[in-house]
Amino acid sequence: MSTSDRATTKPRNTTISSASARSKAADTSRRRFLGTGAAVLTTATLGAGGWLGAASRAAAQAAPSAPKARVVVVGGGYGGAIAAKYLKLADPDIRVTLIERSPYYVSCPLSNEVISGERDIDSLTFDYRGLTRRGVAVMQDEIVAVDPEAHYVRGAGGARYNYDKLILAPGVSFDYDPIDGMSEAVAESTIPHAWKAGAQTLLLRRQLQAMPDGGVVAIVAPPNPFRCPPGPYERAAQMALYFKHHKPKAKILILDAKDAFSKQALFQAGWQEHYGDMIEWVPGAAGGIIEAVDPKTRTLTGLVEDFQADVVNLIPHQRAAKLAVDAGLTDAAGWCPVDQQTFASEQAPDIHVIGDAAIAGAMPKSGYAANSQGKVCAAAVAAAINGEPPPAPSYVNTCYSILAHDHGISVAGVYELKDGNIVSVPGAGGLSPVDADARTRAMEVEYAIGWFRNITADMFT
Amino acid sequence: MHALHNRRPGLAARIDPPKPHPPAGVGLLALLALALVLSSPVAGAGDVRSADMLAHTCAGCHGTDGASAGAAMPTIAGMNKSYLLTVLTDYKTGLRQSTIMGRIMRGYTDQEIAAMAGWFAARPWVSTERPVDGQVAHRGEQIHLSRCETCHADGGRGQDATSPRLAGQWAPYIRHVLKACRDTGLRCKTRQGAERVMALDDAEIDALAHYYESQK
Repeated sequence: MSTSDRATTKPRNTTISSASARSKAADTSRRRFLGTGAAVLTTATLGAGGWLGAASRAAAQAAPSAPKARVVVVGGGYGGAIAAKYLKLADPDIRVTLIERSPYYVSCPLSNEVISGERDIDSLTFDYRGLTRRGVAVMQDEIVAVDPEAHYVRGAGGARYNYDKLILAPGVSFDYDPIDGMSEAVAESTIPHAWKAGAQTLLLRRQLQAMPDGGVVAIVAPPNPFRCPPGPYERAAQMALYFKHHKPKAKILILDAKDAFSKQALFQAGWQEHYGDMIEWVPGAAGGIIEAVDPKTRTLTGLVEDFQADVVNLIPHQRAAKLAVDAGLTDAAGWCPVDQQTFASEQAPDIHVIGDAAIAGAMPKSGYAANSQGKVCAAAVAAAINGEPPPAPSYVNTCYSILAHDHGISVAGVYELKDGNIVSVPGAGGLSPVDADARTRAMEVEYAIGWFRNITADMFT
Repeated sequence: MHALHNRRPGLAARIDPPKPHPPAGVGLLALLALALVLSSPVAGAGDVRSADMLAHTCAGCHGTDGASAGAAMPTIAGMNKSYLLTVLTDYKTGLRQSTIMGRIMRGYTDQEIAAMAGWFAARPWVSTERPVDGQVAHRGEQIHLSRCETCHADGGRGQDATSPRLAGQWAPYIRHVLKACRDTGLRCKTRQGAERVMALDDAEIDALAHYYESQK
């Protein structure tokens, strides 16, 4: 982000500070009003919903300097950027503040193409000016704490952001403990996971370039659930695409904690078709589970046998981001249980969690799922602020993987709420056909690129 | 095709049962309540998913409000409602060939598909903003005038239930549809159109697609 952007964010900071300086009593009464409205609405008739909405608007008009409500969104990725934008679209009178630690966003989807050298990381990099133009106050800060009682989040420098409703889209954090020898420092220097696009993506790319022909790459794939279920397997294909032309004697070993994976039959057929035996997948039951790594020798200790590699790409076990864990929003497994219609946390009032950090029924932890959840959540939050019941939700996931220049595959899901759970609509969704013709495979590459153009335009323009 | 006129079984149970008639004394109140229900898209919705809610799920591939950021995905905002309804329904039944749209449209009831078609038809059309090669566009215009203008009137700006708007549409999308029609016979909606498309060579298809995109 340029200096001029920084300059424009300053006054907003001031506005937020002055807003927080408003009388505590007024704040509290309004918050209580909103809270009561929401509580009544779970059983309210629709007529009463309309009346509360009118009352809420009247209250906002009585204090012209105050926004109708303050919503803070933490995390500017596939979920958070969308929630902020669609909240503003749903109701321009809501003050929406998006807080993101980085001035830029680098997309994880398509970042496997950076590892293979098919594209530049700049083509995956976006700024937040489009959201600013839509009336979202974008703040660059790292949120380190949530106070659910007092309704504020705190930035690394001590800044306090008050909210009436909080939407957390913090993504995942990595759990290095299950594999001896791994740590964040090792990931950043020697054994990159590259599971958040950025410096580690480029490090892994350089390691592949430096590897001699005939070398071995080991991709260590994590147990479920984790961000981007087809990601490790698309990555193997992208690495093979690079090796095919530059190091044809190279080998790619996927050491998997699991015995099955996303789009498995499609990946295995595609690997074989384009790369022969270059890619070997070792399922957990066949010795794929890794317990330790020696970063110096790049030796992996498995449950059954050890593996020696020239490049190791170890994708760690995952759980919700540290912020969500610290705020007490996670369950024993490390993910955030939420109401499946509104994404309201089951652990704290007025906090919603979307995207990879949340537990969302049948939906995978994907960019499109986060996009879809961001919209459902924004609609629910706008409805609650306006004294209306949460709207009936609709969710979609589409996810493409690019195996070769002319070979794309996809999975789609259409979801609905049933008895409080997000379930797949029977008969809809599913995988690309195993016997698809060459034209279809090539079209799916074009659609993968179009998917990326449109979903990022949906986020950032 | 069997599913075309059948509501998905799951939805029937979720729709509110018809309300009993109120006593005469609350007639006016009921009338007022009914007016409120009819005037608000949310009121009375119950478990029915709003057009907003349904249509927003499409934006990840077709752009915010259906204005595509390109290039293989078409802009669907501002398209003729009947055309959209036909195309989306044909995806659902499999009548229209697709890679992924069939898998997605099978997730919606016929009523929901109609709601989405109406929603996108009501959005403003947004033409692409890519540079134009005047010579290629001119070649395309000659082909258009001699073979396409009768149905795709006004340089592809005209549209109806069988002829989609082409002016300002993404050329890669138009090219794909024309080639699919010519090479495989798929996506040829009318016989008249198909015959003309099947007579085109690659250069003519490229020129035609470029011409349509250049028309705003």
